Amino acid sequence: MGNCCSDVGGGMAAVSGAASSAATGNQNDAVDMYLRSHGIHGLFSQIELSFSATSLRDRDVFSKSDPMVAVYIKERDGAINEVFRTEVVLNSLTPTWIAKYTITYHFEVVQNLLFKVFDVDTQYHNVEMKMLKLEEQQSLGEACCTLSEIVTKPNRSLTLDLIRREESVSSTHSQHCGKLTVHAEECFSSKSTADIILRCIGLESKDLFSKSDPFLVISKLVERGISIPVCKTEVLKNDHNPTWKPVFLNIQQVGSKDSPLVIECFNFNSNGKHDLIGKVQKSLADLEKLHLGREGENLYLPTLVGHNYENKILNSKLLVDKFSETVQHTFLDYLAGGFELNFMVAIDFTASNGNPRLPDSLHYIDPSGRLNAYQKAIYEVGEVLQFYDADKRYPAWGFGARPIDGPVSHCFNLNGSSNYCEVQGIQGIMMAYTSALLNVSLAGPTLFGHVINRASGVACDSLSTGAKKYFVLLIITDGVITDLQETKDALVKASDLPLSILIVGVGGADFKEMEILDADKGERLESTTGCIASRDIVQFVPFRDVQSGEISMVGALLAELPTQFLTYMRRRDIKPST
Amino acid sequence: METKSRTLEITVLSAEDLRIDNKPVKKNAYVVVSVDAFNNKATKVDGEGGSYPSWNDKLVMEMPLQTRFITLLVKCKGSRGEKTVGLARIPVTDFVGGYSPATCLQFLSYRLRDPKGLKNGIINVSLRVKEPLQGCSSQAAAAGGGNAATIGLGIPIDGRRDYGMVTGIPIWTGYPSHSLF
Repeated sequence: MGNCCSDVGGGMAAVSGAASSAATGNQNDAVDMYLRSHGIHGLFSQIELSFSATSLRDRDVFSKSDPMVAVYIKERDGAINEVFRTEVVLNSLTPTWIAKYTITYHFEVVQNLLFKVFDVDTQYHNVEMKMLKLEEQQSLGEACCTLSEIVTKPNRSLTLDLIRREESVSSTHSQHCGKLTVHAEECFSSKSTADIILRCIGLESKDLFSKSDPFLVISKLVERGISIPVCKTEVLKNDHNPTWKPVFLNIQQVGSKDSPLVIECFNFNSNGKHDLIGKVQKSLADLEKLHLGREGENLYLPTLVGHNYENKILNSKLLVDKFSETVQHTFLDYLAGGFELNFMVAIDFTASNGNPRLPDSLHYIDPSGRLNAYQKAIYEVGEVLQFYDADKRYPAWGFGARPIDGPVSHCFNLNGSSNYCEVQGIQGIMMAYTSALLNVSLAGPTLFGHVINRASGVACDSLSTGAKKYFVLLIITDGVITDLQETKDALVKASDLPLSILIVGVGGADFKEMEILDADKGERLESTTGCIASRDIVQFVPFRDVQSGEISMVGALLAELPTQFLTYMRRRDIKPST
Repeated sequence: METKSRTLEITVLSAEDLRIDNKPVKKNAYVVVSVDAFNNKATKVDGEGGSYPSWNDKLVMEMPLQTRFITLLVKCKGSRGEKTVGLARIPVTDFVGGYSPATCLQFLSYRLRDPKGLKNGIINVSLRVKEPLQGCSSQAAAAGGGNAATIGLGIPIDGRRDYGMVTGIPIWTGYPSHSLF
């Protein structure tokens, strides 16, 4: 009954030792699976926040304050939820708290944190932390920031001024009462990955009429002799001297390099009952020694002799053909090393948007302050990316319009200048956008090639000066492009540069043709010279209004950015220098 | 200032989906890199890779100034001799000038076409040009255009300043047009 219904092919595939799982950078496969099944993709890592403070106010009469910190998260809808409390440090105005708060860092979301420092009254000192009612304590001040602000600082420490809000104070300025320092650390005990090629010789036959179909299972030994499988190789058919494909083990997965591992060699049976051919017990450090010494280790098989199990040593050997350790740097490592993400924006000014003075136009600026689709898209992407750009100067362009009686331009500076294209801050983009609407007449057609080439020029210039910058171009458009081949040529040229392109489609047009540009949905792009895009740098999404609680589609796009950044850096072997 | 030739360091990385007579290549593929008819070098043979071979072979060649194409010829050593699997011609303008950073390592992939002109896989290379003629920047693209004119590439149509190249594919009568693209 078993054979015809079960997925034999799936059962023979390698599990969890492949290179791709090492790329997500998360130390726990179970957490990975959980988050993925809940629709959270992209790069996320665990960060530990630790706290210290200086110059706190002295509230107690006969001794110093006894401070503690409470951490709150500000949700998008304004709700403030408490998530963590440190311990109380007695009698100190410059405390360093030991308790650390673990938070998952999501690149694509702005994570607003609020910190409140309280002085815990002496009568509450024996009460458990969780039971303490914070409203009854005296506030020493509060501060807020976003998680991105902390991780983009060079030493990952952010010092904030504590501010007290008191309703009874008549003066309008808030009083400063000390400083709180928040420090972020990634939760990795080791970022090393071991790349191992294992092979066996002289395996014995377990099948009646054919040779064995061997595969390996590597498990880690925890206390009391229980072993937990960590990874499994693929099954090689009919082979007594098999060499399996390389296995990538994150040293964190197995504990440490000296943790004992059990490597078992099984014979694959399609009914699921695999026979044990032999096993060895080695740590990663032992495997490395085997590789260096070019020796093999004999497998042993626990066999029943009388009433006891004895380990019968076989003639089969396990050999290590390759053992190399590499350090996988994470996205946050690159940020700490000084890398920046530079935001650039290009806005579609073609006539298909409609007359900007009429309320049904996609470019209509509502006097009541409601943002139009273009403004919403700029905010959604800009408010996440702004923390990763040090000088907050963003190149901004428009295309498809006629600036004051000139010919139609397919890439003009949004700020109206003819010399430089940058504006200051997200507010600068908004102001340049609204003033450009008054100064240009919408025209057409919709061409992307010029804007992409301009962005490529900026990226190329930065690359030749050796700057540690990665560029993100946001193109907001309402229609389908008319220069598909030029755009493909421009994209193929840009695919080897430190550039990613997000295309957001607004309005109700049918964007099916735009999906050709996103290699996730189609084939790899090819230019007129036969050159093929070396990376998929385009992500396209139609812009839809987000209902509360939903993960926005633009957010899902942003989640891909750290992975694209890491692919670029790793392929060129660029390391974050610290 | 006029150097007679530039040095090209090209590392032939790998190829994807190679076929001969519509069957995947089994083994022994290698690549011949040609700067011109007399100046060529070959990579080692990949005995195991099959139709997804990888070589990671670095070749250093001199590239005279008037070179316009680098040709990559993928061949396969069989029991009955050698067969040409596919050909890719890389225009020099694709990696020099324009939006290509000078002296930086560039990763490029090209479509291979078999002797009949049909698609036959992709080849991946990385290359670096030493002693470039001009500094890199988008301004150089315009300046580079002026240089190309002295080589005699012809008169650009309608005053366009980009001297890009396209690669033509010979159309053989009798082949359905959809199989070429």
